[in-house]
Formats: sequence, C-alpha cells, structure tokens
Amino acid sequence: MNSTYLYAIVIAAYLCVLILIGLLTGRRTKSVEDFYIGGRQIGPWVTALSFVAAYFSSVVIIGGGGFGYMFGMSTLWIGAINVLLGTMICWMVLGPRVRQFTQRLNTMTIPGFFGERYRSKFALMFSAVIIVVFMIFYNVSILKGMGHIFEVLMDIPYGYGILLASIIILFYVSIGGYLAVVWTSFVQAWVMGIGLVLLTIFSVRAIGGIGAANLNLAALDSGLVQTPGIWGWPGLVSFALIVSFGVWGMPQLVVRFYSIKNLKVLKIGTVIATIGTCMALLPYFNGAIARTLFPQLGNPDLAIPILAKNVLSPLGSAVVLAAVVAAGMSTFASILIILSSSVIDDIYRKGFQRQVNREKILFWSKVASALIGTISLIVALKPPALVLTLTAFAWAVIASTTLWPLLLGIYWKRATGWGCAASMVAGCATSLAWMAAGKPFGIHGFIPGIIIGGLVFVIVSLVTPPFPEEHIQRIWQAKSKN
Amino acid sequence: MGPFNTPWLTFLAWLVAGACVVFSIIWAIWLYKPQENDDE
Repeated sequence: MNSTYLYAIVIAAYLCVLILIGLLTGRRTKSVEDFYIGGRQIGPWVTALSFVAAYFSSVVIIGGGGFGYMFGMSTLWIGAINVLLGTMICWMVLGPRVRQFTQRLNTMTIPGFFGERYRSKFALMFSAVIIVVFMIFYNVSILKGMGHIFEVLMDIPYGYGILLASIIILFYVSIGGYLAVVWTSFVQAWVMGIGLVLLTIFSVRAIGGIGAANLNLAALDSGLVQTPGIWGWPGLVSFALIVSFGVWGMPQLVVRFYSIKNLKVLKIGTVIATIGTCMALLPYFNGAIARTLFPQLGNPDLAIPILAKNVLSPLGSAVVLAAVVAAGMSTFASILIILSSSVIDDIYRKGFQRQVNREKILFWSKVASALIGTISLIVALKPPALVLTLTAFAWAVIASTTLWPLLLGIYWKRATGWGCAASMVAGCATSLAWMAAGKPFGIHGFIPGIIIGGLVFVIVSLVTPPFPEEHIQRIWQAKSKN
Repeated sequence: MGPFNTPWLTFLAWLVAGACVVFSIIWAIWLYKPQENDDE
C-alpha cells in the first residue's frame, strides 16, 4: 500500500477516536467546574498521562530530535532534568498544596488563585493577560509544528494540515471541555509513548547498537558524546531549566493538580507521571542517532521524520507521525481550556466584576475556546514575523510571571500582594528584555527573569505589611466544607 | 568511559531518570503520608 494512504488511514482512525471521546465526555460536562477542571474528580492515570502529553508538544519531539542531531548525546540531560525537576519534584512540591489551597480558596484557574491568595485584582488581571497573549503565541507555534509534519510526511499542504487538526481539537474542546482534554491527552500519551519506543528500538537496531552509535558519533566529533559537549554549560543548563523548572509556572500543566481527585490519588499519579516523562529522553537520543545515519541533513528538525521514514515500516512510521500529531494536539487543547478560563472567568467575570450566572459562563467558555482556537489558526496560517519572534518568548515570559507567585503563595505565609505584583512585572519585563537583547552569554531569558522575579518578590514582601492572620488561617488551616 | 561507549557524565543522564522512577515509588509508598483531613 502507498505509504501516504497508510499514514492517512492511521491518522484518520486516531482522529475518529478523539471525536468519539469528545462526544462521550460532552455528556458529562454539565457545570463550569466540569468544563475547567473536570469537577476535581480525575483519577491518577488520566491526570498523570495527560500531564505528560500536555508537557511534550510536537515542538518538543521534533525540536528535541533537532537538538539531539545538532548537539549529540549531552542533550539527554534535558530529558533527565525534565523527569527530575519538571515532573517528579514538581508533583511532590506543588501537587499536594496546589490541590488543597485551590479548593479552600474555591478557585479554578491560576490567575484566580493569585487574585484570592494575594487579594489582588492586579495580580489576577496581569497574569491573565500575560497568559492569554503569550499562550496564543505558543499555540501558533504548536500549530506551525503540526502543519510542517503534515507537509513533510504526508504531502498535505501546510494550511490543510493545521485546518484539519484545529477543527478536530475545537470540536472536542468546545463540547467536552477539560474532561475531553484529559481523556484525549491520555490516549495521546500512549500513542506518543508507543511511537517513540518503536522508533528507538528500530533506530538502535539500524545503527548496530547503542555502543556503535556512540562510537560513530565520537568519530564525527567527540563533543557529540561528551557532556556538555559542543553546546557548552550555559546553553545546556539554561535550556534544561526553562523546559523543566519553567513547567512549575505553566498553567496548562499546573491545572492538573487542581483537578486530581484527592491526595491519595496524587501519590499514584506522581509515580505514573515520572515513569511517563522518561520518554522525554528518547527524541534527543534518536536525534543523535540520526546524526550518525544521516550526517548531511540540511534542517536538523527533519531528524525524527527522516529517521522514522528510513528505519521503520510504513505502518511504524505512521504511528510515529500520529505520535507527533498527538503531542501537538494534546498541548494545543490543554492551552485552549486555560485561555478560555482566563478570558471568561478571570478577565471578564472577576476582573471586570460582571455578574453572570453559571450556565452563561459555561456557554461563553465554550464560545471563547472556539474563538481563541480560530484566532490561533488564522494567525498560524500566515504568521507575521513579530508573532514568530514572540513564540520563542512565550515559555520564559509566562513562567517568569507566574512561577514565584504560585510557589511562594503556597509555601510562604509572609508573601504579600505587593510582592506578588512587583515580582510579576519584574520577572516578565526582565525575561522579555533579555530575550529581546538576543540572549546575552547564550543564557535563556527565563534564568534572569526568574532570578530577578524571585529577589523582587522577597524584598517587596518583607517591606510591605503582611496579610491579617485570619486570611492566612483561611488558606493554611481552613478545612473544606464539601 | 561508561557502558555502551558512553562517557560517564553523559550516561549519568539515564541513571538520573531511572533513579527518579525508583525514588517516586519510595516516596509514594513510604515517605508521603497525606493526613485524613488533608484529603479534601
């Protein structure tokens, strides 16, 4: 069978499963809490694997392969730090308290938590606006990544590829909300895992074993097997930190802790998420292997697609393609829910203090997710140069804005609203300025953003009045009435 | 040089990932004890 037809059949079957999940979960989405956080009733497997799927977009699989191709085996450390800091420690440190505190404060979003924890409308609005603006840029980059995959592997024109993926995502997100997102992400995590493991087994076999891969890489350049190798410490460490510690401030991932059923379930989820994230090492590893098999690739981002096409059967290659598309779709869908809740619940209802009944919020949240998805799609069809530049800033800016207010908000009773607001502005401005200056010393903008944001938070909190004891008691010791 | 012709510092990345899995299991079974009234 022609491989293009095979790809189309596998992708079509996969998309049908997503539509089915959208229809099934749509029946269970009856309230705003269901739409935003699945009614806080999500189990460990679905929470953990949907976290993994949302963590790794197609940009990571394709881009990770590209990094492995360019810089070699030292990039395995990015995957390892993803497992250590981005997942295991993140779940242990943030998970329990975020779950408890957000329920006590009755909040469903990250900006909503800031608004209640710090009694600050500025923190609510500033974080919501930053999330909306930069998440849209991030979504555009994800759509772009998916469009190029369709183009390279299936010969589907860029515009048609992203149109197809977007319509399916908008359908199931608008109907099923968060439940549809986590259940489709659960399926997508399995597709990603199977695709990456399959690719790894066959690429190692093609090169003659891991030892042979390392010898061949060392023959090309010994820096391709050494750590930090040809990338150098500043680039490797700062990149590993932004894609690991930065996760602690990413709303589409942190919201998983809001929605998990209870703390016992969270324990099991931590183990599953840690195991699942181990697949993060595989794109880098496969990218490095591709360097030995195809040393003359013009574009490093083609490493994974070309490797899949050459070492796998057409069916296996189609599964890897489905994995890459799955990675993009799960992240895009997770972000749509965050965007919808930020616009409707945070900015419109709380920020502008509109009295809207719960049914109307649910309706407008569905409309908002469809509209925002459509805007992302239109921008992605022909992204202006400025948007492309800003997509590279998205993670750094969002994480620099939200990370300290979240972390210190659940661990430091002395944290104040002024400290939070000053930290948000300083962290955001520093990371933006650093990236705009062209990343001096090869250091990612997240690093200065997070250092300045943290310092400003602590200093301003210490020189401004603490919250009254009753407010702190409410957050730290109040018990849920539910 | 470590296993599979990998320099030890590079090979350590695989070990770190494996150690995380083991530690998360130990944490879940023995170290993390949510209180009854924490379970909201």
